[in-house]
Parts: sequence; structure tokens; C-alpha cells
Amino acid sequence: MFDWLSWFTSMENSKPLALVLFFGAFCGVLIYVFADKRRAQRLESYKYIPLDDEEPQRPGPHDYAHDNSRARIETQSRKVMDNE
Amino acid sequence: MAQSPALPAEQYNYDIVRKFTIMAIVWAVLGMSVGVYIASELAWPFLNFDIPQITFGRLRPVHTTLVIFGFGGSALFATAYYVVQRTCQARLAFPWLAEFTFWGWTGGVALGVITYMMGITQGREYAEFEWPLDLAIAVVWVSYIVIYVETIRRRSQPHIYVANWFYLAFLLAVALLHIFNNLAVPVSLTKSYSLFSGVQDAMTQWWYGHNAVGFFLTAAFLGMMYYFVPKQAGRPVYSYRLSIIHFWALIFLYMWAGGHHLHWTALPDWVSTLAATFSILLLMPSWGGMINGIMTLSGAWDKLRSDPIMLFLITSLSFYGMSTFEGPLMSLKSVNALSHYTDWTIGHVHSGALGWVALVTFGSFYHLIPRLWDTKMYSQTLIYVHFWLATIGIVLYISSMWVAGIGQGLMLRSFDDYGNLAYTFIETVEFMHTPYAWRALGGAFFVSGALVMVYNVVMTLWAARREQAGEAKLVAKQLAKA
Amino acid sequence: MKHEQIETNSALMLVLILAVISIGGLVEVVPLFYINETVEKVDGVRPYTPLELRGRDVYIREGCYLCHSQMIRPFRDEWLRYGHYSLAAESQYDHPFQWGSKRTGPDLARVGGKYSNQWHVQHLTAPRSVVPQSIMPNYPWLIQTDLDYSDVADRMRALRMTGVPYSLTQAEYDANVKKFGQTVADQLDISQAQDNLLKQARDKDFDGISSRVTEMDALVAYLQVLGTMVDFSKYNEDEFVKFR
Repeated sequence: MFDWLSWFTSMENSKPLALVLFFGAFCGVLIYVFADKRRAQRLESYKYIPLDDEEPQRPGPHDYAHDNSRARIETQSRKVMDNE
Repeated sequence: MAQSPALPAEQYNYDIVRKFTIMAIVWAVLGMSVGVYIASELAWPFLNFDIPQITFGRLRPVHTTLVIFGFGGSALFATAYYVVQRTCQARLAFPWLAEFTFWGWTGGVALGVITYMMGITQGREYAEFEWPLDLAIAVVWVSYIVIYVETIRRRSQPHIYVANWFYLAFLLAVALLHIFNNLAVPVSLTKSYSLFSGVQDAMTQWWYGHNAVGFFLTAAFLGMMYYFVPKQAGRPVYSYRLSIIHFWALIFLYMWAGGHHLHWTALPDWVSTLAATFSILLLMPSWGGMINGIMTLSGAWDKLRSDPIMLFLITSLSFYGMSTFEGPLMSLKSVNALSHYTDWTIGHVHSGALGWVALVTFGSFYHLIPRLWDTKMYSQTLIYVHFWLATIGIVLYISSMWVAGIGQGLMLRSFDDYGNLAYTFIETVEFMHTPYAWRALGGAFFVSGALVMVYNVVMTLWAARREQAGEAKLVAKQLAKA
Repeated sequence: MKHEQIETNSALMLVLILAVISIGGLVEVVPLFYINETVEKVDGVRPYTPLELRGRDVYIREGCYLCHSQMIRPFRDEWLRYGHYSLAAESQYDHPFQWGSKRTGPDLARVGGKYSNQWHVQHLTAPRSVVPQSIMPNYPWLIQTDLDYSDVADRMRALRMTGVPYSLTQAEYDANVKKFGQTVADQLDISQAQDNLLKQARDKDFDGISSRVTEMDALVAYLQVLGTMVDFSKYNEDEFVKFR
């Protein structure tokens, strides 16, 4: 009844087994990533991260004279820890 | 460094990024010039001049180390430190340690190439550093990881952006590869013997060698791509979900492919078959990444006409796509039987190294430099000039290597009507003279492009310094009035 | 689990990356160390003598491996050009391996015995004087430089630590006698390293200058032993196929 289990113990079968496992995992990831519409929207929203940091907070020589650039930086850089 | 009076208040640590950027450009010019020189030695052997330090065998590791670790490595330090700060919106952690990584890395590369010329080498391709330098590099690398991870931990942005995943994978993989591949028993300060021998040593070395390409020259530069292409295009990356697949599949598959460097050797067949299979699979994430990068521009293709930096970045992705197609092709055992040991491999490496790595770096630098020094590039035209010199150089280089490699491969395996070998080995060497000369010319084009960049950058920095000195005066005046 | 959890947790991300990148290497590299069939059992393969070892060091120093492979593949053209395809056993004492990845010059795995010592000396000093179309650099300094053999015993001791059967103790020496025979075992005895080196250089006089032991002596000694250790006439033609 459990004879089929011995198939797993044979070294020759490790390649097809691994192939099936990895391919299964790959398909799982594909389905996870692409299937759900809401998840898709959520995930795609993260691609704007690098565009969020644009220049205004960069202190130019002129606003250094009236010193509000520094204040802006301080309010902006709030520390976030893992899993917040 | 050109520092305006406003800069001490800057939000991010750009000083370290500036240093690595400048060194990357210096190493690029040096390393590529050595490349042209050794290419010329192969075409005109009198150039060895009977001087031990500059013979081909000793200069070749100098070339590979300068361009991979000097140019590529410094470019990665610079962009990784920049990207992690910008995407995490946090200042770089441990500034003193970052300073140490700069001097450690720069010193390591410099010492390395000097020792190679003196004949001090481990005799392992792309891992020629002798053990004391290996140890020093390991320390620098661990510091790099510590800085990078701690900066991520201090982020103000909850999400870790894709570019950082690639940099992280690169940092970890290179640490693993470097440590295991360089295990050795020292004899003296300048000599050691690797711990492994023969077939195991070969597999360890090409596990390292291939993943040096996979993680150092691919994953990390993809991190660069994922930041600088969207930034320069002013639009987000094409698909965030594709980048998730791209990332995990790429880092998983690359580690399996090393064995394809040892097809038909004394390596057991099961390893090389496995490696070939995974090399073919690797085409998918590679092209996924390429599509993701190029399609970022969809709807804004006109930028290719108006923005030379975009031209650099998109062309680099095209070369990435081309060489990641050529790679799996060459990993097929039947193709490899012809291509292995020939210049086809050299051409393939350079379509990746010049076409992908160098072009994406140049493009990113042209984006980065004005921001680092708070100024504009001196000349847009010169960026175009650089682009065309580089592209012509690459095309000359890889086509001459196709001719040399495929030509030699075919000659070596051809038989006459009686079943005897049709050509002696030296006849193939004679045949390769012409493509070798063209290759050297292609390299010279590429170097001249890099020199145009140097001129452009120097003029930019000079102008920035003058401008900022002027502004400092202005600020002083305003303060005096108030 | 959501992918966001990975994206927002740097430690989790680190661990997952490490796991994912480790698998490939573990599966492909590690088994090579314990699967016995990886290296064939053949007679004749022995560690290098002290002089050959120093020659090999010179070979590595000059970067010969960047243009010459030492790995013959099982194809008819390579068979005709270079000889029997290389066995894993033949490089089992090579730390590091020198299989190479590029043939700008011909393969050297079986160059031993193909040319005379005199030819090698001439060819290494001025390659174009024997092969006019050659693009190999001249190596005139090899014959001008005396071989530094002062640390040859240290080198053998280091190799012994990696597993090469150079002998330090009587027991190791006896084991070598049993495995390789008396003559070879003497050569592998670390305590006799310098004498052995000098004796081989004087007896064979590879560089043609009997008064000195030069780097040329060592390098030619190494080249002349390459690929000569296994006597293929003793084996059936398909003896080694099962190891592939």
C-alpha cells in the first residue's frame, strides 16, 4: 500500500521530484502575485516609492537664509521600524 | 570635494556617494585602457616587451579586477548608498564605517592589481587576490552589509523598495561566494594553496565565477536599473508584480547555473546537465526584468529622442536582453562544444559587461552626478557623443569576437576528406589576428567614450564649484543685510 | 503570508534571500565531495615532485591558465590533437585546478613528453623562433632567474594540510610506499624536499644549464609531467565512460 513511498527514496527520482516541487512553488507565486485584483492594486501602489522623494526638501542656498528647510526635514524623517 | 555652504544641512550622506562615483570613473578609464592594451598584445605580441609585469598573463587579471571590482564595485557602492538613502528616506547609517568601506575597497583593488603584476595570484579566474587581501575584502564587505542593512532598518518609508532587494541579494550572495571560493591554506603572506582540488575546486570556482556574474554584474545592476530607470523616466516601473517574480526567480535560478562553464569536462554529467537546464530557465526572469525595465518607458518613448541618459539606460537593457539570450544558448551542451575555450565566450562576457553593466552605470551616473553636486551636466551633446562612441565600440567588439570564436571553433573541428584534422592549432591563431585587431579598435572606441565622460564630468564639477562659490557670496551678503 | 510582510521586514527578507540563494549551491557543489564516482580510481596519478610543484607555481604566477586549458574534452578533434580526454583523477592533487576556460593557445593537459626539453626552453624564451605565427609572450626571465626553492618544504606542508599525501611522519611515508611505490614515496617525503628538488634538476637538467637551477628547470619539469601519469594502454577504451 505504501510501496509508492519508496519511489521518493531513490536518488534517480530526485530530479523530477525537485522539478515538480520548484515548478509548483513557481506557479504558486505566479498565482499569488497575479490572480487577485485587489492584491494587484495594492502591490502596484508600492512602485511609486522612488518617485516620492523628489527634490523640494533639498535645501537650496536661498532658503538657507530663512531657515525653514531644516524644520521640514525633521518633520519628514520619522523613524519606522520593521513590521510597522 | 565641491561643497556649497548649504550642504552641511543636507538630508542624506552624499559625500560617500561622491567619492565612490569619482573612483568608479577613475577605475573605469584605467581598467578599460588595460583591456585595450592586452587586446593589442594578442594582436601584436611585441607589445609584451619582455617585461614580466606587463605580459598578458599578468595584466589580464589586472584588467578584469579593475573593471569588475574597481569600476563595477565602486559604482555599486556609490549607487547602493545613494538608492538606499533615497528609497528609505533615511540617512546612511555609520558614516565612519562607510568611510572605511571606501578606503578599504579602493586600497584593496589598488593593492590587488599591483600584486598581480608582481606575480602574486591565487590562479583562480576573477578570484586572483591572495589570501591577506581576501580577508581584508571580506571585512570591508561585511561592513558594507552592516551599513546597508542598518540603513534599511532606520527607514522612514515602511516599504523596502525593489531596488534594495536586489542590492541585498547581491550583498549576501557575494559574501557567501567570496568566502567559500577563497578557502585556502597559506604558505606565506604572498602564497596559498586552495583548500579544494581538481573537480571539486573547479565546481566551487565556477559556482563563484558564474554567480559573480549573476549577482555582482547582474542582480546588483538590476537594483540600479530599478531605481534609475523610473527616476530618469519620471514614471514608475512598468509592473511591480513582475519585479517580485523577477527577483525571486532570478536569485534562485542563478545559483544553479555555474556548472555550464564546465560542460564536457571531467565534471560529472549530472551536474552539467542540471546546470544547463537551469541556465535555460534563467532566460525567463532575465527577460522579465528586461521587459519590466524597457516597458517603464511605454507611453513616453519620445524620451529616447530627447534624453541621452534614457538612451544609455534603454540600450543597456537591450544588451542585457541580448546577452541573457546568448548565455542560455551557449549553455546548451551542443553549442558549448563549439563555443567553449573560444573568443565567443569573451565576446559574450563583453556584450554583458560593456553593453549592460557599463552602459547602465554611465546612464545612472549622468543622472546621479548633477544631483550629487547640485548642478547641471556641462554638456548634453557630449553625453550623446559618449553614447555613440560606446555603442560603436561594443558592436565592433562583439562582432569581431563572434568571428574569432565561431571561426576558431569551426576550424578546430573540421576534417579533410581522409578524416584528418583540416587545420593545425596555430592556423587558427593566424586566422584570429584580424578579428583581434578589430576587437582592440572596438575597445579603443569604448575607452574614448569613457574619456569624453571624464571631460564632461570634470567640467561639470568645475562649474559647480564656481557657481556655489558665487552663491556663498550671495548668502553672505544677504545675511549681512539682515 | 503576504508578500508585504517580506517587503516591510528587513530581517525576514535577509533570511529568505539566504535560503533561496543557498539551494542551488548546496545541491550542485556539496555532493561532489562525497559521491565516490566523481573521481575515478586509476593507477599512476601521484602528487607532484618538489621541482614540478615549484614549476607549477611559476605556471600560476605567469598566468598561463588564462590562455592554456588543461582539460581535454571527449571529441574526435581533441582526441587527435591532444590525446585521451582528461580524467577527474588526473587533477585530484591540483590545488588550485588549472583546467582553464580559454584556448588562446593549445591545451596543455597532455603536453608532457610531446616535445624535447630543449624545444620547451627555446619556445618559452622566444616562442616565435620556433612557431613564427605564435602570439605567446617571450619569457626570457625564466632561464635567467634562479629558482627560489628555500620554502619548498613549507609549500608541501601547506598542501599536506589540504589533503595531498606529502609525508611528514614515518607512518605517512609507509602509506605512500604502499600506494605509490618506493621511488615516488621518497619524492613525497617533505624532509627530503630540497635534496629531491636539486637532484631532479641536476639529473634531468631541463634548461641545459647544469650549473644552476633556474625557474625554467622547474617549469619544464612541470610541463613534461603533464598528462603522463596515467598509462591509458592499460585500460579499455570505455573504462571511464561510466564516470561521466
